[in-house]
Amino acid sequence: MVRRTFILGGYQTDFARNWTKEGKGIMAMIREVLDGGFSKTGIDPGDIDSVHVGNFAGELYAMQAHLGAFVCNYHPALRGLPTSRHEAACASSSIAALMARTEIEAGTYDLSLVMGVELMKSVDSKTGGSYLGTAAWYEKECAGVEFPFPKLFDRLYDVYDKKYGVNYEHLARISAVNYDNAKRNPNAQTRGWYMNLQHACSSGSYNRVIGKRLRASDCSQVTDGAVAIFLASEEYTRGYAKRTGKKLEDIPYIQGWGHRTAPILFDEKEKEAIANEYPLPHTRGAVTDAYRRAGITGAGELSCIETHDCFSITEYAAIEHFGLADPGEAYRRIDDGTIEIGGSCPVNPSGGLIGCGHPVGATGARQLLDAYLQVSGNAGAYQVEGAKRAAVLNIGGSATTNVVHIIGRGE
Amino acid sequence: MREIKKVAVLGANGAMGSRSGGIFAQAGVRCLFFARTKQKAVSGIDNAVDQARSDVLRNYIVPKTYDELESEVSGCDWIFEALGEDQSLKQRYYERLDGALKRGTIVSTVSSSLSIEKLVEARSDDFRSHFMGIHFFNPPGKLPANEVIYHPDNTETLKEFTARFCRDRLYRINVEAHNRPGFAGNRIGFCFLNEAVRYAEKYGVGVVDYLLGPYTGRALPPLATIDLVGLDVYKAIVDYIYANTDDERHDVFAIPPYAELMKEKGLLGRKGKTGSGFYQKDEDGGRMVLSPRTLSYGRPDEIEAGFIEDAKRLLHDGEYTKAVDLIKKERSEEGGIVRHFILGYVAYSYARIGEVTPSAYGIHGIDKVMAYGFSWLPPSGWVDLLGGPKETLRMMKKEGIEIPKSLEAQKEDARCLIHDIPKYLIAR
Repeated sequence: MVRRTFILGGYQTDFARNWTKEGKGIMAMIREVLDGGFSKTGIDPGDIDSVHVGNFAGELYAMQAHLGAFVCNYHPALRGLPTSRHEAACASSSIAALMARTEIEAGTYDLSLVMGVELMKSVDSKTGGSYLGTAAWYEKECAGVEFPFPKLFDRLYDVYDKKYGVNYEHLARISAVNYDNAKRNPNAQTRGWYMNLQHACSSGSYNRVIGKRLRASDCSQVTDGAVAIFLASEEYTRGYAKRTGKKLEDIPYIQGWGHRTAPILFDEKEKEAIANEYPLPHTRGAVTDAYRRAGITGAGELSCIETHDCFSITEYAAIEHFGLADPGEAYRRIDDGTIEIGGSCPVNPSGGLIGCGHPVGATGARQLLDAYLQVSGNAGAYQVEGAKRAAVLNIGGSATTNVVHIIGRGE
Repeated sequence: MREIKKVAVLGANGAMGSRSGGIFAQAGVRCLFFARTKQKAVSGIDNAVDQARSDVLRNYIVPKTYDELESEVSGCDWIFEALGEDQSLKQRYYERLDGALKRGTIVSTVSSSLSIEKLVEARSDDFRSHFMGIHFFNPPGKLPANEVIYHPDNTETLKEFTARFCRDRLYRINVEAHNRPGFAGNRIGFCFLNEAVRYAEKYGVGVVDYLLGPYTGRALPPLATIDLVGLDVYKAIVDYIYANTDDERHDVFAIPPYAELMKEKGLLGRKGKTGSGFYQKDEDGGRMVLSPRTLSYGRPDEIEAGFIEDAKRLLHDGEYTKAVDLIKKERSEEGGIVRHFILGYVAYSYARIGEVTPSAYGIHGIDKVMAYGFSWLPPSGWVDLLGGPKETLRMMKKEGIEIPKSLEAQKEDARCLIHDIPKYLIAR
């Protein structure tokens, strides 16, 4: 039997902050997220066995690599620990979590710190947009292209539209729902922003078309942020539960996971999209792997989903790839309110990447933390009532790296 | 069941009126923007649109002139008055409104200091009982604090309704404040600012702003803040507080003669005709600093204090407690000045609990105003960083600052309830 890996909680920095404007560097962000993580969970730094840091492009945005080692600078008890930094574009900290879980499953370690961190507002938007291009095949797809990623996902929009037809208003509604949810989230970047369906449907100087058809309101944010979560073995969790007065069955654990990678070039993905019922077959593969490992039949057994929505079309695809709707029919779940808080399977109650923010290398950890908060009943104003099982999809690049986690509670 | 479908905004061409009105429009409420001319009202709409960054707002706002006031307000559910900070001006407009409104219309003033009760002394019972202070902070798109100052004639039902509406529809962070001059935020904030104005006479503008810069828990240094607010608005508020309060720091609210002269000469800050205030830009966009002695501008002196630069470096790396320790231990005159201001701010805030905000909130009401209305590190956040109530009291005694009883009564393990305190410590 596979050893279970529990999530003991964690901490997210306020994604509305601009650390460069505050005059702060990446160490300040790491220090704050670790302060928050240790104090929120009551975990002693001396208990940590290993450290996995997710970060996409510290070398570009902050002129800083080797981020695993920064954790050892935080507290003397962390010195000497095995640390590593993981990079898989927007899925970086999900990879960090996969590695931590593997160690725990193997019985190598009992408690791992998984941290995602990204400082992005250190450069102007065009430079940052170009840096993001390194998550695709830069030389072939992004060199000399202004804001390459909206353009790549516009191609996914094209493929979808050609294959099944997409009404733009459904994409606008995805954005409006995410912004609306973000207003309930005290750490969401856009919680104070003005946005609704009317604005998302408008276009002009305040809602520019960024790609071919995708508009600013369809895009996730440029965000500074970090997240720390703690993954633990059952043995450690039993002791932790006793110490903190919790029941083991109330502490969320990783029930299933999936990890698949598509060819990096979007041309190749486009051919696959045309040939397959599910336009992103590797995303679908990661989802079904996770369902199988969790021993569940599909989305009907989920309380909510935290999905990658780097663009509204990504969430549109995710609704189908999770199986909430048949391929080509995501609009039905948008129309019937399934994806809204109060619906039968809310998608991105946190606000997602569009509403909560998208500090690239920290997003996977943020999604896992939100899944933890939902399943443990600690999501506050954006709590999905009675949530018992949440799914997370984190995508790196143009739907290239796909990581799915299923987080649930109960024996 | 009361509903807010249409709001009239008076003074809608001004920064506060246009942006506050925009907050209502963002909630999907129809707004009438009143100004002296249509053109001015339209410029207010442009401000609201710019704040929301959405042209959709234009669908919700109609420009109006005061010639149409009486005929239009009868269809409104809320009159949001944002006229200049002038009691008689406001009262003249209230007189026009009284009788023209349908019964039960909410009337609020965005005044940041004037007495809510005095403003409507001469008004009808219905007007008075639906009148209150709803004080947003500028710019409301970025600063969500809302001081709510109830009139004694307001019913509990009305209070509950407006508080809920402001919280749930306008996304404001409400702070109930008492009807005292400057209410909570300006009483405390402007005490700090005016002491900085007074110190500038002796130490110079550049030095004071350097010593009390963003690293002490504020987005902008104090004198640069006044340039942004406008010396005319600033002086009106400080003078009103000085004339109508008498507390342990009363003298601090006296505006020094050089600042009076600044106003006379039109050195009102960024909004003034000259664009000059405590600072001025030269032809090449370089920064010039006012000399309080001569009221002339010169190049800023090179100022650098080791402990401040070291503190900023520590803040850059997230070593907040160590940075504050440097301020605590610095023995130079500059260190003493920084401590005097920080501890003075903390002491004055704690001493105002019960006077400017209900005692039941403890320091949290004042914390909320200072954090969400001023973007300043809130007073109890300072207490945490300084090492807790006992340590803060010890420092106050040492610096000769009057001890606030409410801080003496504070439990040692009490913590600031404002989320994410470190973000207020700016490494500049």
